[in-house]
Amino acid sequence: MLRMALSVLAALIVIFSLWESYKWMGQQTGDAWPGTSVELPVSTDDIIMPHAVDIVGELFADIRDGRATLPLIVFLAKKAWFTFQEAAIGFFLGSAIGLGLAILMLRWRFAERGLLPWINVSQTIPLIALAPIVVTWGRHQNLPDIASIALISTFLTFFPVAVSALRGLQSPTPEHVELMRSYAAPWWTTLVKLRLPSARPYLFPAFKIAATLSVVGAIVGEISIGTKTGLGRATLEFAQRYAVWPERLYASVIGSAFLGLTVFGLVTLVERRVLRRAEG
Amino acid sequence: MSTAIGGTTREHAVCIDSVDMAFNVGNDDEVQALSSIDLQIEQGEFVSLIGPSGCGKSTMLRLIGDLLTPTSGSVSVFGKPAHDARVDQDYGMVFQHPGLFDWRRVRANIELPLELHDWSKADRTDRSAEMLQLVKLDGFGEYYPRQLSGGMKQRVSIARALSFSPRLLLMDEPFGALDEMTREHMQGELLRIWKETGTTVVFVTHSIPESAFLSNRVVVLSARPGEVNSVIDVNLGERTPDTREDPKFFQTTTEIREALRAVEGAV
Ligand SMILES: Nc1ncnc2c1ncn2[C@@H]1O[C@H](COP(=O)(O)OP(=O)(O)OP(=O)(O)O)[C@@H](O)[C@H]1O
Ligand SMILES: [Mg+2]
Repeated sequence: MLRMALSVLAALIVIFSLWESYKWMGQQTGDAWPGTSVELPVSTDDIIMPHAVDIVGELFADIRDGRATLPLIVFLAKKAWFTFQEAAIGFFLGSAIGLGLAILMLRWRFAERGLLPWINVSQTIPLIALAPIVVTWGRHQNLPDIASIALISTFLTFFPVAVSALRGLQSPTPEHVELMRSYAAPWWTTLVKLRLPSARPYLFPAFKIAATLSVVGAIVGEISIGTKTGLGRATLEFAQRYAVWPERLYASVIGSAFLGLTVFGLVTLVERRVLRRAEG
Repeated sequence: MSTAIGGTTREHAVCIDSVDMAFNVGNDDEVQALSSIDLQIEQGEFVSLIGPSGCGKSTMLRLIGDLLTPTSGSVSVFGKPAHDARVDQDYGMVFQHPGLFDWRRVRANIELPLELHDWSKADRTDRSAEMLQLVKLDGFGEYYPRQLSGGMKQRVSIARALSFSPRLLLMDEPFGALDEMTREHMQGELLRIWKETGTTVVFVTHSIPESAFLSNRVVVLSARPGEVNSVIDVNLGERTPDTREDPKFFQTTTEIREALRAVEGAV
């Protein structure tokens, strides 16, 4: 855990220094590569690239939230907590659905042939199109917006889990399957004692991808639904006022990245615990 | 024909009746693995199968264990169809590859069949400790398979097969990966268990002395398609370490070797 935190910090310092050196170089040369008149791909003025110190400083500057006034970092944390809840529901629901679909496809070959293409096609549906459908339907069912957003997040998370879980469940060698057969173990027992444990090395990478996607889904869901709160909503507002206050948008991006890192870290922690646990 | 434990009125432990076995029937890669096999094994007998590589020894064990279904003919085990014997858990199988679950500790691997047979936790622990001692792996119960050598893994897989005291043991080259001393020790242990429990053993091996030392009968198979070439009775009485130096032992190994030569020459 400490090592994880340290590596995040180290990465931040590297990005920070790269950012500032690039900006410094651009400022010296008037946004051209040194010694040439070739323009830099990204100009380095304070609107496009505010100083990293200013972005960090902005995190601790006050902002109005309704009637209260509070530091931006606290504001973002509050919004992130809301988004985290949506993402968490999306993650667990999506993982359960993904695992369920994988077991279904494992049990019945025709289900694999019938479902797998559709599972793949499902991911080409643009979220922008999906979101209003889900929201309108959700409001029709008197679902709170948080549920609709979680559903959009679910839609992203179930996919990597379904695909990897199927591969993992099919990964035991013929010898292992034969051994369980020699014990006359029923299908269900073979699933629990052999296939699920064998699937773990496939499942956890998928859970990590799903965790990150669940945050993406929740943020995109908030933006396309037009909720009152959440990190996505905050990002949208700051984006609209980017030209006057760029530091805030960058700060909210840092907030999203941090949320993504947090869920990723949580899954990694669970993975370590599960893999360390001996069976039987 | 010599039988170790009498009882001629009992049904055979294994009865293979004009069995043919082909893989991928109707395809270009069709293989005739076994052809018109007839073999009866009495209860309490120790029978070895020996023959050139690829002649169908593993296939024969799989047929007895109902892990494969013969193309024609029938296999019965203790008087019932092989399928019923498998469901009744009448046999324990030691595969050619140890096939341990690498996420389970050695102890938990040995307890796997017991777990599936709903043994209580306490009984399982007692039995696995006993089994670890038997295969000379006491102290390794909490290790993971990846921390063991090939021979140690194979001994775990033997312990796993013996753990629920099956009436029939099907063993596919179980000692192939062991050094000579451990091998002789395990042979002695296997004979001891066999005598004490009255189990029937069907044992696949590549080693002529091993087959002679262990068996009541040695079945020599020919290759492509696998057929029973000859069945050699072994009469060496009580096995002791001295048996291996007995002139009668050499006589037996010579007999097996000649039968094998005839078979290999025909390939
Ligand atoms: N699942 C399978 N599919 C197709 N062919 C198979 C299969 N299993 C075995 N065979 C074929 O059947 C024949 C007998 O194989 P088997 O494994 O029984 O031989 P074996 O006597 O045990 O050999 P070895 O001593 O090398 O272990 C071989 O020609 C093999 O290619
Ligand atoms: Mg074999």
